This record gives sequence, structure tokens and C-alpha cells, in this order.
Amino acid sequence: MKNILKSCLHSPRFMTGFILFIILLGIALFYPLFHPGNPLQMIGQNSFVEPGTYLSLYDANTVNLNGKTSTFIMDDAAVNRADSNISEADRQTMLAYLAAAGVDVSHLDTSHENLDSLVTLWQENYDSSKKVEGYTTSAKKRDLRTLNSRLLAALNAGEQTLLTKNGDEEVRTAVANNAYVRSNQVANVINLPLGTDNFGRDMMKELAAAIGTSLIIGLIAGTIATILGLVIGLLSGYLGGIVDDILMFVCNVFTVIPGFVLLILIYYSVGQEARGVTTCAIVIGITSWVWTARSVRSQVISLRNRDHVNLSKLSGHSLVRIIVTDILPYIASYVVMAFILQVSSGILAEAQLSLLGLGPKTTTTPTLGLMMNWAMLYNAHTQGYWWAYFPVIAVIALTSFSLNLMNTGLDQVFNPTLRD
Amino acid sequence: MKKILALVLAVAMLLSVAAAGAETVTTLPRNKTLYHGGWQYGSIAAWNPLHSNSNNSMAISANPRGSRTLVWETAYMYNALDGKLYGLLAEDGYEWNEDMTQLTFGVKAAAKWNDGTAVTADDVVATWEAWKKLDGYNGTYAGYAPYIANIEAADGKVVISLVTNDEGKPVNPLLVYDYLSGTYILQKAWLDSMFEKHGGDAKAVAEDTCSEKDVPYSGPYTFYFDNDQLTVLVRDDNYWGQDESMWGKLPVAKYQAHTIYSGNDASLVAFKEGQIDVNQQFVSNIQDLWEKDGLAISTYMDEAPYGVCATMPTAWFNMEVPVLQVKEVRKAIAMAVDYDTIIANAMTNQSPSFADVPRSVMNPTDGEQALLDHDAIQPYQWDATDDLDTRIEKAKALLDEAGIVDTDGDGYREYNGEKVSLKSCCPNGWTDWQAAMEVVAAAGEKIGLDITTNYPEWDIYQTVFTAASQTEYDIFMWSPAGAAPSSPWARVRGLMSSEYIGLNSNWSGNFGHWSNERADEIIAAIPLAATEEEQKALYTEATILYLDEVPSFSLMYRPESFYAVNETVWTNFVSQDLNAELAAEGKPQIPPLDLIDGYGIAGQYYIELVE
Repeated sequence: MKNILKSCLHSPRFMTGFILFIILLGIALFYPLFHPGNPLQMIGQNSFVEPGTYLSLYDANTVNLNGKTSTFIMDDAAVNRADSNISEADRQTMLAYLAAAGVDVSHLDTSHENLDSLVTLWQENYDSSKKVEGYTTSAKKRDLRTLNSRLLAALNAGEQTLLTKNGDEEVRTAVANNAYVRSNQVANVINLPLGTDNFGRDMMKELAAAIGTSLIIGLIAGTIATILGLVIGLLSGYLGGIVDDILMFVCNVFTVIPGFVLLILIYYSVGQEARGVTTCAIVIGITSWVWTARSVRSQVISLRNRDHVNLSKLSGHSLVRIIVTDILPYIASYVVMAFILQVSSGILAEAQLSLLGLGPKTTTTPTLGLMMNWAMLYNAHTQGYWWAYFPVIAVIALTSFSLNLMNTGLDQVFNPTLRD
Repeated sequence: MKKILALVLAVAMLLSVAAAGAETVTTLPRNKTLYHGGWQYGSIAAWNPLHSNSNNSMAISANPRGSRTLVWETAYMYNALDGKLYGLLAEDGYEWNEDMTQLTFGVKAAAKWNDGTAVTADDVVATWEAWKKLDGYNGTYAGYAPYIANIEAADGKVVISLVTNDEGKPVNPLLVYDYLSGTYILQKAWLDSMFEKHGGDAKAVAEDTCSEKDVPYSGPYTFYFDNDQLTVLVRDDNYWGQDESMWGKLPVAKYQAHTIYSGNDASLVAFKEGQIDVNQQFVSNIQDLWEKDGLAISTYMDEAPYGVCATMPTAWFNMEVPVLQVKEVRKAIAMAVDYDTIIANAMTNQSPSFADVPRSVMNPTDGEQALLDHDAIQPYQWDATDDLDTRIEKAKALLDEAGIVDTDGDGYREYNGEKVSLKSCCPNGWTDWQAAMEVVAAAGEKIGLDITTNYPEWDIYQTVFTAASQTEYDIFMWSPAGAAPSSPWARVRGLMSSEYIGLNSNWSGNFGHWSNERADEIIAAIPLAATEEEQKALYTEATILYLDEVPSFSLMYRPESFYAVNETVWTNFVSQDLNAELAAEGKPQIPPLDLIDGYGIAGQYYIELVE
């Protein structure tokens, strides 16, 4: 045993897979501890908010009202400000429009030095009612209008004051353009490392919870499939004869029906009300034991005529004892590897089912497949909201990758022909 | 031998490719074709406008809110923006007799069928008679017979007589408008030949799929091509509507085409690529298409909600479920729903919020809102003043008072000793609705009611919620009438009338089978209200009843049809800008109904090529 563990630790494949798996497990276990709360709470009143840190504007203003700001004199502050208000693309649009409107802009480019003269020219020449060639479509006209109003806002933003009410008295506080607040001075800061989904839920929280759910589904499904496969394989292989015939008939029936189709049919007929996480796992488990049973059976057949087994038989040991003590230990390594693969395919099966809209009920538990399903329903993939689906795909891929790595690593350890 | 075999196989392959190619239409000239999206799924079943399931979206869709008049035409076109009827085959304007029991209108002298014969009052009469004969196989006659007694021709004009009540007053004059804008007029000669062909067998007439060249039409377009991937209509350059009494010119695009996509995502990609010009599809965060992707895509309005919302997708309570017969339960659920989240996340703000347009039986258009006494209904609008947390507390108190409390400590309330478990349902794949149902289910969780979502497939869903009796869905979604000539009366009726209880395949309203005597009285009284004041009082009372009893509750506002255009090839589509120009010229504004429905078809005459 100690030797096996040691060789496991020395197998780079196993260790890579194991570490990856532990990291994912760690996220599932510890992220919710540090960020408690319902992972399905719809916090955002916008769908698909980009990943980032969000500071409460109200609280930042309060810091200013309290006079606790810090002042920094930054040379490039003005440039940055101008750039964020009127982007490079905006300036190109302005230049193109002015050129089309017959204004000489040959002396101008999009650099910061030219911005003032560009803005002046724009203000002199932009007229929303004028028909300029190339700018007659609703889309172009709208884009120019929004650009113009953004520009006006930026121009008017010379001085900012906060107007607050103290009883009936109105108090004005200036907002200096070189005043800064430290992010932890702001009372409310929301960290969204993976943004939000279509419901305005914190993707990272949801993902951590979903990893947990998917692992549970994988574990339950894997355990059921492995136990079923093991029992059927052991009995069929060891007993042989009519029992073997019957069990193998059942096995063959299950083999010729595509497993996934069977899974869909069973799951669909269970009905949506009964589709909890456990039901999902059980259904996956009872549709995926076939190959384990077949392989166990073939291994048992080669074992059952070994001398030590015959000796046990002659000694009058019971069927159970022979199977448990004389046969099982020889195939234990195979069973462990089969179990790992079953866990991995269980997780994938849930993802596939949910992607088809056949997953567990949404309101109660997040799962990786359901997250993918909603991202797909809301066209996240065609609209470029990568954070709504890519992390989920990555996690699904990494989970099954890590489990498969562990499996091949174990294979190297257990299989003498593969040992280095 | 092998070489010969290979040669034979290669030839066979080429032949099969050629055969497949022969079926596809030669490529349509892009700058003469207007591509639509979001209407046609699956291939066309019939070209017979009398067929009740033709699945022929580009040609056949008759509906009071706006019939599709590309091929067959209606007497009038409804314009949801000003609530008026504009003459199409009929002359502009119609006349009522003094007690409003008879309506008379003339048929335009210029109106012609494609075979050159004139459209006459006799055709209008023959069409009504045909609906009558088809009763039982097509719902049109059954829908209008309680209101329209007879349609006849007199002095070349059409006279519609209404069904009257004991006092000699019309039962409902509003429904005549629905008939005039919501049913096609068909050629008498063709109708006669159809019944003759089938020996008078109405069922056979209604189920005859007809060939695409068979049926005479009066509209500007006719069949050009269709298969399971594409359907195309081509302009009939002899269209009567180029007469000065109608449009004065032909519609701009030579072809109207609709590619059939596998689903929403494929359709969206095609729209972004400019392969669809006018798209009727819900696109989440549609502003990202121009703000982030920089595409030449625009909507009716520049800002949210981007379109004209005319209907309210509604959650209905099934009154056959005992716990939902308790008014407090219905009200508590409705109070606890986070509507802002539905509007922000399910509709991605393509709907005004309930703070902007407080809930009632009216849609957000100014015309309908003016029919309410807003001060009187304000106390009943549960989300007008209270924020969500207050509402949840009030909802909990309401349930406690009604004696629906959690006695066994599992976090869920019991009714008659049983845990309250409800299912909220809508069709699978209707994303904005599914998201709304998720929010309703989340509301249940907050007030101690176990609500779970369930998304049956559409073909199952449609048979269950329209059944005369069902206990499968506890809370389920459907929209009441949107903007039609008979709205908002039609909506009030659809929301509250007990006449729909016990009807099988009931698509008309009151799907939850709620019944209230006073509501029925109000519904009967509104069409006959003598003054606007009286009407307003009745609408206000209906709204109060609706908000107090909560037989159902609106979840959001929604456009009648989604509308977005890609201006890669065509431009000058219907928009607020265009309507402002039209208004300046004193012309009627055009509703953003995708350039094909009701008065929205007028947009076809304004589009221009970008190049």
C-alpha cells in the first residue's frame, strides 16, 4: 500500500491531475466560505455585467463629502480623462464625418494635441439635421448623436459639485479633479471576478457552487455506476453459466442502445419536478455501468480458475468470501481507475443534459450544465459575453482532464507493462 | 475495374449535387431583396388563406392588431400608433348609422385582383359567407358571429349589420373594426370554385392546401419560391396599389425573402452579418450590437426600451388549484416578485419599468393610459410606492393573516396541512419568459412558498394552458391582447371575462378560469358607454378589481413584434426619425411592425438602398 502511494506520488501525470483536482475542489469548498451568500441571488439589475471591481458611486461621494480624499497631481490625468471620454475611435469618426461634410481636416489627426481644435471644428460643423453623404442611415445618425451628447457631457464636465440636502438647507461641495479615494475607503465595493450572467448573478459565486454540485453529481453517479458494474461483472464472471448468460444479455441490451439517448429518455420521463441533483446523478449512474461490468467480468473469468481461488473453493469458503477476499483485491486497481472515469463521465453527462434543457431545476442549485444552458439561451456565445460561458467550459474541461490524468497516472503505477 | 467503379461513383456524386442544386433558386439580387427574420420556422404547409394551419408566415397571418398584407389584403389596416383604421381595399373612412347598428363602407374603385377583375362589395360578402360555411373548421366565424349579424352589398357598398341586444343597442361595435382589419378579403369567383371543387364539403375546403399559383390575390407580392430553407415572394408590377388612390407607387423591394434558420442563434448571426434586413427577434442587450460591435443596426428608438411596447406578458393563476383560490396567496406572490430584475435581466431593459408605467390593464401607450383615473388606482398598485423589501414583508403579513403559515418548521407554509408547492410554467426556449418565471419562483422562496419552474415543450404547453380544465400548471404565462382596434376593451375582456371558462382550445383569454360577476358586467358595459367619462370610470373600476383580486399579473411590457433593422443594404426604415419627418409632412406615422403588418406595411414604400 505504502509502495503504491509512493509510486503514485512519483507519477507526474497522477500528481498533475491530482493537484488540478484539488484546486477545483478547493474553489468549490473555500470560495463560498470567504464569499458567503446565496450563489443564485440576482444581485445585478443588468444582465452580463463585465468582470471587474465595482465601487459604489454614492459611497465614494460620501468620502468626498467627509473631506477624506487624497490629492495627487498627475501629469497625464487630463489626457487619460479626455481619452476615456472621447476614444481614439470617436476621434476617427469625427474626422471622417468632418471630411465627408466638406471640412478641411488634413491638418488634424487623432492625437491629444489636436483634440481641442478637433472638438471646436466638430462643434462648428456637426448638425444632426444636415444630410451628409455616408451618414444618412439611422444607425450612423444615432451613432453621431450619441457621440455628440457624450462630447457635450465631457465639455460641460469642467467643474463638478455635489448637491446634498441637510434638512432644508442645500449644501454644495466641490469635486476636485485631482481628488482620489482609496478603494477600501468606499463602504460598498463589489468584486465580480467573472462578471454576472443573464440573471445578474455573480458568476464566480455561481461557478464555485456549480463545481461543488457537479462534483457531487459525478461522485454519486460514479459510485452507483461502479457498484452496479462491479456487482454484475463479479457475479456474471465468477458464476458463469445461466447467470452469466442472463446478465450478459441485459448488458448487451444496454450496450446496443446508445447510453446518452437512454439517459435523455429516462430523464425526460422522470418529469421536471423530480429532476433534483440526486435524481440526475442516479439516472446517470444507472445508465453508465455497462462497460465497467463487461471489463470486470472478463477479468474475473481469467481469475476464477486460479489456484488460490480453487483452494478457497475446496476449503468450503462462501461465494461472498471468495469474491471479496480472493478476487476483488486483484481487480481493485482497475475498479479505482474505472471509478475515476465514471466520475468524469458523470460530470460530462450532467453538462450535456443541462445544455439540452433537461438539467436539474434551476432555482435551487447551480450546476455547470445549467450555467451553459442559460448562457446559450441568451446568446452569450454570439454576443461576446465570454465570461458567461468560457469559465464554465474551462472548468468542465479541467475537471475531466484532471480526472483522466489521474486515471492514466494510476494506470502507469498499476500496470507493470507501462512502468518506466 | 476499380477505376471504372470510381468513375461511376464520381459521376453519381456530381449528378446528385446537380440535382440538389437544381432545386435551389438562382441567387436573389441582394439590392432588390428585403430579407426578413424571425417569422418562418419549418416549411410552408399551405397556400390557402382559409386554411387554419398554413405555417405560411410571409403570406398568411390575419390578426386585428395588424394583418400581413403582402399577398392577400384586408379592408382596413390598423395603425397602433394613432389607433386609427386606414383604408386598404376599402375607401378611407366608414359610416355608422345613428344607433351604431350598421356600418357602411365602399371598396376602392382602383382595387383589382391579380387576374385584372375588380375587387367588389360582393367579394367582401362572399368572404363572410365562406367563413360562415367553414364554421367548425376555422374559428373566424365563431369569433365574430356573436357581434356581426350580416354582411351584404347595397349600391356597390358593403353594409355590416350588428347583432343587437334587447334594447336594440349593438352588443359590441368594437369587434367590427377587428373584423375589418383582421380578416382577408378573398375573391368570390375563387371561393365559389373552391366549394364547387369539393362538392360543398367545408372540411375539404378548409384543409385544401392549394397550390401556390391557385389563389387570386390583390396584394403587391406573390409566390416566387419556397423550400425548407427559403421562402421568397416577388413583386407583382401590375399591383393596383400604385394607383394614386392608394400608395401611388410600387413597394421598393422586388423580392421579400425569409431564410429559414435552425434557431435563434443562427438567425442572430445572420442578422449581424447583414443577411437579414428586418429582424423580428428578441436580442438581449441589443444596444451591444452597435455600442460594442459597431454594427449598422438600429431600432425604432435610440434609447431603451428601443421599441413600442404594446402588450404585457402575464402570469396567470390557475383557479382550479385550491390554494390559488385564496386571494391573499395570489396577491402575496404578485407582491413579492422582483419586477425590476425581470425587466432589467429577462428583458434587458427593453421594457418600461412599472415605476415608469404603473401597472393596470392598459398597455404603456399614451392613448390607453389616458383612459384611466390614475389617482384612483394608485392605492391598488402594489409596486408603485413600496420597494421590494417592504413588499415582501407585506406579502408575508398577508399570508400570515390568511392563516397560511409554516407549522412544521421546514421553511415553507402549509395550506390545509399540506406544504404549498406550485409550479410556474412557460414554453421551453422562450428565454425572456423562462427568465421571468425564474424570478417568480425566486419570489416564492422569499415568502415561504415552494415555487418551482417547469418548461414544457411548446406543443405540449399550448394544449394544456388552453384546455377547458387543467391542474398541471399552477402559474403560467401568456399575453393578453396587445394593440388592436378593440383594445383596451379586448384586453380587459381577455384578462377577466368568465365567458372563456369551460371552452376547449381557448386562445382568447382568462386562461386561469377566474370568474367575477362585476367584471362581466363591466366588460359588457364598456363598448356601450355613451361618453368618454363613463368609459374612463368603467376602465378604472375594472383596473381596481383586477389589481385587488389578482387573477393574473403582468410581469413586463413588451413590443407587439420585436423590430430591429440592419442598414447594410437598405436604409430609411421605419424609425422615430422617419415618423418625425412624416408627421412634419402631415402624413400618418408608421408603426414599427417589421414593414409587413397592418399599417406597418407603409414602410415598404419608404426604404432606400444605402448605395
